[in-house]
Amino acid sequence: MSQRITIDPITRIEGHLRIDCEVEGGKVSKAWSSGTMWRGIENILLGRDPREAWIFAQRICGVCTTVHSLASVRAVENALGLEIPLNAQLIRNVIVVAHALHDHIVHFYQLSALDWVDVVSALKADPAKAAQVAQSLSDWPRNSVQEMKAVQARLKDFVAKGQLGIFTNGYWGHPAMKLPPEVNLLAVAHYLQALEYQRKALKAVAVLGSKTPNIQNLAVGGVVNAVNMDAAATLNMNKLFEVRSQLEEVIRFVQQVYFPDVAAIGGMYAEWLGYGAGVRNYLAVPDLPTDAAATRFDMPGGILMGGDLAKVRPITSWKDDFFAKNVTEDISHAWYDGDWARHPYKETTDPKFTGIWKPESPAPAKYTWVKAPRLDGKPMQVGPLAQVLVAYVQGDMLTQKWANKCLEIAGGVAKAKLGPAVLQSTLGRIAARSIRAAVMSDLAIKHWELLANNVGKGDTAIYNEPRFPTGTIEGFGVHEAPRGVLSHWVVIENGKVKNYQAVVPSTWNAGPRDAQDQMGPYEASLVGNPVADPHKPLEALRTVHSFDPCLACAVHTHDAEGNEIARAKVL
Amino acid sequence: MTRIVVLGIGNVLNADDGLGPHAVRVLEAEWETGPGVEVIDGGTPGLDLVSVLHGAEAVVVVDAVRDRGAPGDVKRYPREDVIEGAPRLAMSPHEPGLRDALLTMEFEGSTPGDVTLWGAIPESVELGPGLTPACRAAIPALVDGVVAELRRLGAPPRRRDPPLKPDLWWERRAG
Repeated sequence: MSQRITIDPITRIEGHLRIDCEVEGGKVSKAWSSGTMWRGIENILLGRDPREAWIFAQRICGVCTTVHSLASVRAVENALGLEIPLNAQLIRNVIVVAHALHDHIVHFYQLSALDWVDVVSALKADPAKAAQVAQSLSDWPRNSVQEMKAVQARLKDFVAKGQLGIFTNGYWGHPAMKLPPEVNLLAVAHYLQALEYQRKALKAVAVLGSKTPNIQNLAVGGVVNAVNMDAAATLNMNKLFEVRSQLEEVIRFVQQVYFPDVAAIGGMYAEWLGYGAGVRNYLAVPDLPTDAAATRFDMPGGILMGGDLAKVRPITSWKDDFFAKNVTEDISHAWYDGDWARHPYKETTDPKFTGIWKPESPAPAKYTWVKAPRLDGKPMQVGPLAQVLVAYVQGDMLTQKWANKCLEIAGGVAKAKLGPAVLQSTLGRIAARSIRAAVMSDLAIKHWELLANNVGKGDTAIYNEPRFPTGTIEGFGVHEAPRGVLSHWVVIENGKVKNYQAVVPSTWNAGPRDAQDQMGPYEASLVGNPVADPHKPLEALRTVHSFDPCLACAVHTHDAEGNEIARAKVL
Repeated sequence: MTRIVVLGIGNVLNADDGLGPHAVRVLEAEWETGPGVEVIDGGTPGLDLVSVLHGAEAVVVVDAVRDRGAPGDVKRYPREDVIEGAPRLAMSPHEPGLRDALLTMEFEGSTPGDVTLWGAIPESVELGPGLTPACRAAIPALVDGVVAELRRLGAPPRRRDPPLKPDLWWERRAG
C-alpha cells in the first residue's frame, strides 16, 4: 500500500516548486516535480533590440541576475561572431567567480545545511568541545571557545523569546538528524559567519558591476567599465584592490570554513552517498575563458553518460556543434500549447493550463510549467556535480586537488575509502558544490591577476561595437552558472529579436518526464530515497535541496496561494 | 549618519508586481534625497535582501501586497505586520523573501530598527512590463508615503524643480 505525499513549496527562497512522491515501505517509489508558476519571459523580448535583451533577461530572476545577463550578451555575441576585448572577458570572469562564491556559501549555510544540522540540539553542546572540533578541521581564527559560547548564548536568547524566527519550520529532533550537539553548534556559528562573508562576495560584484542586485556594466561587445588608472570614476587600481581584498576574505572563508565543514559533516552522513544519484548523464559547459577569443578555459566542460566516468566527451568551445544542434525542450508533460520537442531556436512559449493536479487523482498528463530539456533526446543532470565530474575525469588539476581532499576528509570521518564515483548522490551534489567553490576560490585570484596585469600593461580596451547585418542570424550563449548549464538562444532578424529562449539549469534538473516517459533529474533522484515519516519528509527535502533549486527563473510569475512554509500533505 | 534604505521590490516584467521599482524611480526623479538615504530598485532578490539591507538603521519598502481591498489601494504596514504578521497572511507576492530576510537578520542581530512597508494591491501580475491603470494611479500616493517616512526619520527630501524623467526602461516598447 503506497502513500502519496505532496511537498509544496519546497524552496527556501522564491518558492513555487512542488514535489509529489509515492512512498512504499519507507522509500519513495515514484516522484513528480512541478513548477507551479507560468514561465514566458521570452515573449517579452520579441521585437526588441538585441543589445538590450540582457537588461530584461537579468530580471528573469532576482537571485541570479548576473548569470542571465551574461548568457544573454554571450548569445548575441555568438550570433554576430563578435570577439570581445580581453579586459572585458576578465572583468566578466571576476564577477562570475565572486557571484558563484556568494551563491554557493548561501546555498550551503542558509538554504540547505539546516536539513542536516539540528539548530535546537546546538543548545545542548559543550562550547569548549565544539571549538575543539572546529579547530581540528582548520586554522580558522573564529573557531574559539568564546565565539561558540557567544553563538550558543544568542541562540538561547532567541529560543527563550518563545519563537524560533527564521528556524520555525525546521524538522528539529527528526530521527534522521545525526550530528552531535557540538557539530550542530559549530555549524550554527558558521551559519552566522557565512552571512558576513557572502556579503563581501557581493561587494566585489558591486564594485565591478556598478551595482547589485542588478549589475549594469555589461554590453553586447564587452563591458562599460572604463579603464583608466588615473581617474577616480573609472576602474582603477584602488577599485581593483578593493575587489581583491573582499575576495581574499571570501576565499579564506571558503577554504577554511565552508569546504572543511561540508567534508566533515558529509563524512558523518556517509550513508547519503548511497541515495539520490538519479539521472547519471552529466552536462557542463566550459567557462572562465583566459583569452579574448575564448579558446582556452579554466573550467572544462563535457558530457558523461550513464555514470560512466571512463568515457567523457569534452566540450571545448562556446560554439560546440554537438551541443548547438542537440538541445531540445519537450512539452509533452508541461502546460504549453502543443505536444512537441523542439530546438530552442524553433520553440514557442504559449501557455495552455489544463488544471492543477488534484490530490486524490492519479498524475495528469500535464503537471508543470517547466519544460523538459533534453540533449540528443536524453535527460541530463547539470550543476556543480556535473561540472566537477567532467573536470575531474579530464584531469583538471585544481578539481582533482580539491575533490581528493574532500573525499579524504570525509573518508577519514566515515572510516571508508572514497573515490570520485561516490559523488553521484545527494550528499555528493552538496560536496561537489563546495569542491567547485574551492576551485573557484583559487581561480578568483588568478583571474584578478590576469586582469590587473593586462590593465597594468596599458591595455584599456573594453568594448567592440556590434553591427547587425540585414537578414537572419542565430546564436547561443552559455554560462556554467552556480546551478549549472545556462544557455540563452536568440534568433535575430534585421537587427531585432525574432525568437528567444532561455534554457536554465533548474529547467534541466527540475523538468518533468518527456514523451518517452524518461524522468527528469529531481524525479529520478527521489526514487529509492528513504522517508521515515511521511508527515515529515526531511529526507526527500535533502535530495531536492541538494540541487539548489531556484525555480524563480525556471518558471516565473506568482502563485495565487501564498507560500510561507513548506508543507507536507499526506494522503 | 543614519543609513536609510528606500527599497522598491518586485519584478518589473510582471505588470503590477513592478510597482515597487516603479515607485522608487519616480521618487528619485521627483525628489532629491539627503545624504545617508539610499534608494534601491531591488528587483526580487530573495534572501539577498540580507545583504541589501545590511547596515541600514531604517528601511522603507515599497512593494505589491496581497491584502483585502481593491486594486491600487495603498496602505502603510508597520514593522510588526511585515515581520511578525499572521503566518497565513502572505503580505507580498515575494514572500517569503522579505520576511525571511528580516528574520534571518533578526537572528544575526542586524535587523534595521525601523521597518515600514508601503504597499499597493496589484490588479495583475501577469507577464508583461507596465502597470495597470489602477496601480499607475497609486504611484503618487506611494511616493508621498515614502516622502512622509523620510521626514519622520529626520531625512526630509527636497522636491526637484523641474522634476527629472523617471528611468522606467522596461516600459519602452519593442521595435
